[in-house]
Amino acid sequence: MIEIRLHGRGGQGAVTASRIIAAAAFEDGLYSQAIPMYGTERRGAPLTAYVRIDNVRVRERELVHTPDYSICFDEFISMNQTIANSMKPGGIVLANSKFKPEELPLAGDIKIACVDATGIAIKHLGRPITNTAILGAFCKLCPEVSLKGVEKAIYKYFPGRVGDMNVAAARASYEQVTDLITAKNKEPPKQVEEIVSGGYGALKDVSGWRVFEPVIDEEKCIGCKTCWIYCPEAALEWTANNKPAMISRACKGCGVCANECPVKAIEMVRVQVKK
Amino acid sequence: MSERMTRAQVPLEEGIIFPGSTCQGCGAAMAARLTFKVMGPNVIRHGIPCCPDQSSKSPSTGSVFEGAGPSLTGTSRALKALGRTDIKAVGFFGDGGVYDISFGGLMAAAQRNENALVICKDNEAYMNTGGQHSGGTPKYAETTTDQVGPNSRGNKFHKIRAAFAFAALGVPYIATASVAFPEDLMAKVKYAKDIEGFRVILIQTPCPVGWRFDPAKTIEVARSAVQSGMWPLYEIENGSTFKLNYKPKELKPITEYLKPQARFRHMTETEINEMQTYTNQRWEEVLRADEAKRLTF
Amino acid sequence: MVDYEVMVGNKACAVACKLARVNVAAAFPITPQTSITEYLSELYASGEMPGFEFVNCEGELPAQVIVNNAALVGARAFTCTAGPGLQYMHHPMASTAGGRCPLVMAVVHRGIKSMQPDHSDLMSQQWTGWIHLYVENAQEILDTIIMGYKIGEDARVRLPVAVGYDGYVLSYTAEPVEIPPQEMVDKFLPPYKPPRSLIYDDPEASIGRGGGFRSGDPNYAWMMHNEGALNAEEVIKEVFAEWAKLTGRKYGTGMVEEYKTEGADVVITAMGTVAGSAAAAIDKLWKDGKKVGLVKIRSFLPFPRADFQRIAKNVQAIGVFDRSLQPGMGGPSYREIKNTLYDSNVHPVVAGFVGGLSGKEVTVKNFVDLGEKTLEYAKAKKADAHPIWV
Repeated sequence: MIEIRLHGRGGQGAVTASRIIAAAAFEDGLYSQAIPMYGTERRGAPLTAYVRIDNVRVRERELVHTPDYSICFDEFISMNQTIANSMKPGGIVLANSKFKPEELPLAGDIKIACVDATGIAIKHLGRPITNTAILGAFCKLCPEVSLKGVEKAIYKYFPGRVGDMNVAAARASYEQVTDLITAKNKEPPKQVEEIVSGGYGALKDVSGWRVFEPVIDEEKCIGCKTCWIYCPEAALEWTANNKPAMISRACKGCGVCANECPVKAIEMVRVQVKK
Repeated sequence: MSERMTRAQVPLEEGIIFPGSTCQGCGAAMAARLTFKVMGPNVIRHGIPCCPDQSSKSPSTGSVFEGAGPSLTGTSRALKALGRTDIKAVGFFGDGGVYDISFGGLMAAAQRNENALVICKDNEAYMNTGGQHSGGTPKYAETTTDQVGPNSRGNKFHKIRAAFAFAALGVPYIATASVAFPEDLMAKVKYAKDIEGFRVILIQTPCPVGWRFDPAKTIEVARSAVQSGMWPLYEIENGSTFKLNYKPKELKPITEYLKPQARFRHMTETEINEMQTYTNQRWEEVLRADEAKRLTF
Repeated sequence: MVDYEVMVGNKACAVACKLARVNVAAAFPITPQTSITEYLSELYASGEMPGFEFVNCEGELPAQVIVNNAALVGARAFTCTAGPGLQYMHHPMASTAGGRCPLVMAVVHRGIKSMQPDHSDLMSQQWTGWIHLYVENAQEILDTIIMGYKIGEDARVRLPVAVGYDGYVLSYTAEPVEIPPQEMVDKFLPPYKPPRSLIYDDPEASIGRGGGFRSGDPNYAWMMHNEGALNAEEVIKEVFAEWAKLTGRKYGTGMVEEYKTEGADVVITAMGTVAGSAAAAIDKLWKDGKKVGLVKIRSFLPFPRADFQRIAKNVQAIGVFDRSLQPGMGGPSYREIKNTLYDSNVHPVVAGFVGGLSGKEVTVKNFVDLGEKTLEYAKAKKADAHPIWV
């Protein structure tokens, strides 16, 4: 049996991707099972989904606890050790990243491959929705799932022209995925930053939700408090010099502040993934 | 009636514990943040199943979905029996709770004039479970249970105008509010919190995920709802005295409100015209009531 | 000074609420519970109960939510219902027990298939996690409602208590009831002080909202709830002993009340009002030289396991009478007794009788027959298949 864990973000299509893998395996003559994380999904919040593939009907009904493969759809989450944790020995991590696999700060008895799924998605779909874009790369790493099977499955979920675009993205990632390397550090660092996911109640830190973040031009700012009052998270602090300042742990990057600023003193800037 | 509030009067302190667990650009989170800025201490907050908004720094309790009215009743009667009328019972519920499954219980509590403040964050469908139809869904909106196809044009019914249902019971205070008009919203909460008896504030809180628009445009969408007359802002006291809080010289066409939202994308020109006529008629009603300073319909 | 009054069961219930100094009562009228709500209204109108709020609410489900929240705030709360009303209440009943809110509810039995009484209403609520007590007469209603608060509010239990009594034959039947003095009840039952309440005098204090998706073992709340329900046995016995000392009224161990079981060859069981007729039948049987005892089951939840394991040692057969039936599964107390005896090293014959459903009258003669049949089963060392219809 092959067990797969998918890391993504609410709205990126990780759950659909898990179903496409399951359908692809079935197209290839295998049995499969796609499991969403139980509970609620919030747009922007990190989440996980799971897949099992076997040559007999899968009877296990539990989450995947020690996967053979870990696939990450999000460039930011790709930099987090969480995606490489509790893998089977020699397990494979496929990360959406512009970087080389050896540049990712991931440790353990694992092998790593990277593909720039965001770049591929923007090129083929016009939007950074990376779920199908990364699946081609996955077929290359996982001999049990064929590209043909994935293509067939993609058309089941996205018929017609949208399917063509998604298939093109999958093919591109099949071509562009890097070779596998073995992780240099076998021992993961002790202090692992937890990825905060959805749920109910107050959260500690949602900085990981942000793909864009507000950059405030204090010269242009007229101190009208419009951005401050409309922020859903109280993530803009009103400072002593009558200007807003982002509270990093609280901003989810929705962009309401920039949209409402009457003098356009706030710009939403794509958060740079740092090595 | 509430007293006008200026931006300078908006308290800097927050009444919520943030960040919360809502989606990006959540209108309900804004409503909670603004509400609890002015709510003050000595509040027992009541919830029923709904989307998360923002946790507040007050003791809170959750009841069964149909338990909105009775849970507030139980709390306020117990506070009275124990001689703790300094504490307020406040409900913070979604539109599905207020307009559908808890509607009967809230009507009964309103009829008994229980000492409670009900705040409804109206995102016009069951967004917590993926966007299913509620009594708050406007006509023609597509939801996951009002799908559009050869046999269906989305929701068949007009959105419930719950304020007037509560008005029929003569409760001391009813208001509508919008997250795009924060000072107006906070002034209403501030005024309502100290009135004795049953009070209702209905806040329209756009949902970027369910209404399908860019999360940065939450306020834009909320504002155009008010400016187009789709969500008029008004107050009703004792079931009769009426005041319209926002009166533009000319209403914007409803297309300004409908266009950014993919849930209305399928609407034909005829359907849009029908909604425009409906909106204009409703707007005339509230204008007339405002002139007469009392409910005239 | 001890006061007597001839009153119906429903009035005894309302008088108990007054003596227990209930803060909030909420109810919706339903036959045969209706007159409790009328008596409560009368009490409210009389002004005799300061700090008492009575809510005439719009249904049983809201009534349960109201008392649940009142208890969360820290009030002593009461509600009452019957048959279909109890079924309508089902959903929030689980919240009340799950929220560990000790309040008392009178369930005036009305069958779920008829206006007339049987125990199917309260029996169908076993999974909501309440304590279930069954009583026989008006005096026992008054006593048990007061004791119900003391049991439920005990830190070892902290669960709501349902007191079930048959409609019509008890709710609307008048008999003399001794009204204990208020000072005595006050001493017995001090004001309710919950360990956690929604009233926080520290405005910064925040408690989370109900619902799941929290960290920790999801089984934990169930483990604690189960412990509370099991602890209730010990607490019921203590509270009943204390009440017996104060009033001289003894209801067996509180869990069961035995009648002429000493030296009996077999016992029969009964719950609620029919236990009275059963006792009359026992007298007759002994007169005829037939050694049949009676075990009245007072607490169904928690079930008197220890009592039955003890009783089973001295008898050759147990004739169980159930006034409710789960179609396809059988009578609830029959199943519980069999279940209990599996863990015991003595295994008398257990015969499962079912009758009195949908208000069918159960006579003294029925119980005489039942006792005789149980003796036959003891001799044959085998009972007929369950259910044996009465």
